[in-house]
Amino acid sequence: MITLYDYELSGNCYKLRLFMSMLDIEYEVIAVDFYPGKEHKSEWFLEINPLGQLPVLEDNGFVLRDAQAILIYLASKYDAGGKWYPTDQPQTLGDISQWLAFADSITSTSSAARLHDGLFYDFDIEACRAGAHRLFRIFDEHLWFAEKQNRNWICPGDHPTIADIACFPYVILSEEGGISRQDYPAIRRWTDRVKRIPGFVVMSGVFPAGPAFKAAG
Amino acid sequence: METQHRKWHPIAASSDLPLRHTFHGQLLGREFAVWRADDGYVNVWENRCLHRGVRLSIGINDGAELKCQYHGWRYANRTAGCTYIPAHPADAPARTICNRTYPAVERYGLVWSGETPDGELPEISELEAGSPCALRAIPVNAPADLVTKRLAEYRFQPNAKIDGQGAEITVETAQDGHLSLSSVDGEVSTKLLLFVQPVDSNRTVVRGVLSDRPKQEDELRVFLHHSRRLSSLRDLIEAEAAGLPVPEPMQPVIHRVSEELASMPEQTLSGRTAPLRVEVSRKWETAAGIAGLKLVPVGEQLPTFQPGAHIDVHMPNGLVRQYSLTNGPGETRHYTIGVKLEPDSRGGSQCMHREVREGDVLAISEPRNNFPLRRDAVKTLFVAGGIGITPLLSMARALHHSDLPHELHYFSQSEKHMAFPEVLERLGSGVVPHLGLDPAETGKQLKAILSRYQPAMHLYVCGPGPMLEATRKIAADHGWPDNSIHFEYFKNTNEVDDSSSFEIDLARSVMTLQVPAGKTILAVLRENGVDVPSSCEQGACGTCLTTLLEGEPDHQDVYLNESEKSSGNCIMTCVSRAKSGRLVLDI
Repeated sequence: MITLYDYELSGNCYKLRLFMSMLDIEYEVIAVDFYPGKEHKSEWFLEINPLGQLPVLEDNGFVLRDAQAILIYLASKYDAGGKWYPTDQPQTLGDISQWLAFADSITSTSSAARLHDGLFYDFDIEACRAGAHRLFRIFDEHLWFAEKQNRNWICPGDHPTIADIACFPYVILSEEGGISRQDYPAIRRWTDRVKRIPGFVVMSGVFPAGPAFKAAG
Repeated sequence: METQHRKWHPIAASSDLPLRHTFHGQLLGREFAVWRADDGYVNVWENRCLHRGVRLSIGINDGAELKCQYHGWRYANRTAGCTYIPAHPADAPARTICNRTYPAVERYGLVWSGETPDGELPEISELEAGSPCALRAIPVNAPADLVTKRLAEYRFQPNAKIDGQGAEITVETAQDGHLSLSSVDGEVSTKLLLFVQPVDSNRTVVRGVLSDRPKQEDELRVFLHHSRRLSSLRDLIEAEAAGLPVPEPMQPVIHRVSEELASMPEQTLSGRTAPLRVEVSRKWETAAGIAGLKLVPVGEQLPTFQPGAHIDVHMPNGLVRQYSLTNGPGETRHYTIGVKLEPDSRGGSQCMHREVREGDVLAISEPRNNFPLRRDAVKTLFVAGGIGITPLLSMARALHHSDLPHELHYFSQSEKHMAFPEVLERLGSGVVPHLGLDPAETGKQLKAILSRYQPAMHLYVCGPGPMLEATRKIAADHGWPDNSIHFEYFKNTNEVDDSSSFEIDLARSVMTLQVPAGKTILAVLRENGVDVPSSCEQGACGTCLTTLLEGEPDHQDVYLNESEKSSGNCIMTCVSRAKSGRLVLDI
């Protein structure tokens, strides 16, 4: 059985809930009171993750921290079709890793701005926002050119990868940190597509998309 | 700055509006929700829901309507009128709930709009001849005039020599917020139009359009060339803008509701009015004895309708008849009605069948909805008898489009008597025909259909009087509560007894009037200068429904259900009267 150490409002935890829902994996949740309880810095939790960060996933005694690392693990183990993390395609794997690192940069800017605005963290808010905008400009251009090549997802191929899952939460929650996505139309279209992946679930602050097909009648 | 508001500006690229997406646009401080309906129409709307002001750009484009994420208010394609409010599932939204729309023209790969643009979108001669190709738009955090000035320094290679360098650039024109640049490198040249979209006082979007599409194999490299070079120029412009004082953001005026909608309709004492003119663009035999009529507006956009709505048609022979709209959601370019030729026609259906022709102009009322459709049922059953299919067709199409559970039971003489077969076909397995049944067999079928009532199911019935009565009775026998049974009669076949005479007090108008035998409340009101809406004037359609404050009504209509009648707090003024000597009306 899989156990997720989870905080409801965390985008990094949401990544895993989202991905496990898409893979149709059953899991249990242990809620960690990140705010205001600071339980992720408590003694019992530091024993599980000395970094004092969420999420942590345990799968039959195997304990793993770091959202991106956990996505790799879940995709490699539970995605029978090997589409989300195609271990037989070196270029795609490199590409995915590059965007997993990019997702971490989004976390340190967009998520930080959200922690400042929502949970009163003492960050340089202007620097967080400027950093997020810098990344979003690069990301929007990347996705615009992907569309021009008839690609829907961050990495080449006709199936989304864990790079899409890793980048999605703190992009879609950016407005909670005062970062508008108005100037990034290609990012906005990509978020619609992610929302239409079967098994998509929402979290607080994330709205669903409607279906994208023409119905008769 | 004022002149900017009267100009056309690009606000999006065509490729920004893929299927079922909502684009977030802005011009001169005013935000837009921009969305393409499934029929291709581009809607440019004020970016706020009329309910709580939430941005509609995060709303759901369902191809026919835009649904607000917050409380689910729905707005129709083209008209932006509200079609449904989930918190009031039993009510038809008021016509004043209509969002502000802005003009939209799609040309040269861009979507153009403006607050109040003068005239038509001007032709841009450089783009008329070639095969225009829109580049990736570049947002710049700087004022539009600075951006326009610096764009004259833009350097780029012609399409056919994209990897070269040292092309000669000429600024051919720079006016009206766009620059026309020409790049020449040896034998080859490319023309580029750069449009400067003033987003806000300190925000601008640069939209480039090449006059000629690059060769397919060069396309990506050309796009990348411009994306990178424009981005580099952007960095310089932003660095310059950072040294300037930040201007105050623009403050667009958000209009509450359009003047036309906010003003009171003109007071008339003539009773039923027909403010709209429509042309019969198509008339065809949709089934045996049933004419289909497609009505298109003469001039303006037709008002928003909701499923279940009807219009009054004022006929060439002076008669006024009510017909239900059969349209699906978002189908706002025409009204389509079905008219059955009644053997005992008093002139209405005969006139529509024999005299009205394609190309004729008819006067019609605005659509009214006294038969609103709830969209919160766990399952909705529709029971249609004959021409009673028309309002139910519109309802079934709405539920079908939103994938909500429903069944449309269509009782008809035979297959060739079934109206609008092409629409029924699109509804698929939701339509269940019951053909050629006699009253006994019909009753048996109805029992089978209505035997499985569950809470929060709803039933909508429309058809001939006897069938309607039977359906209501069978439903009641099978446990359907009064408020789950919704019905609409074609006409009131009850003999109206107008022998009583009584007094009416108008509580708001502070008037006391006498209603003599032989005259309706409605007629007495109008004679005394009090105009109230009406439509069928025979107690069937529900338009003249009035709140009753005191007194015992003598209901003679077929619009109200039993619980509404026994509640004693409403009355249809066109046929119903008083059992007591006095009625107090909330007029």
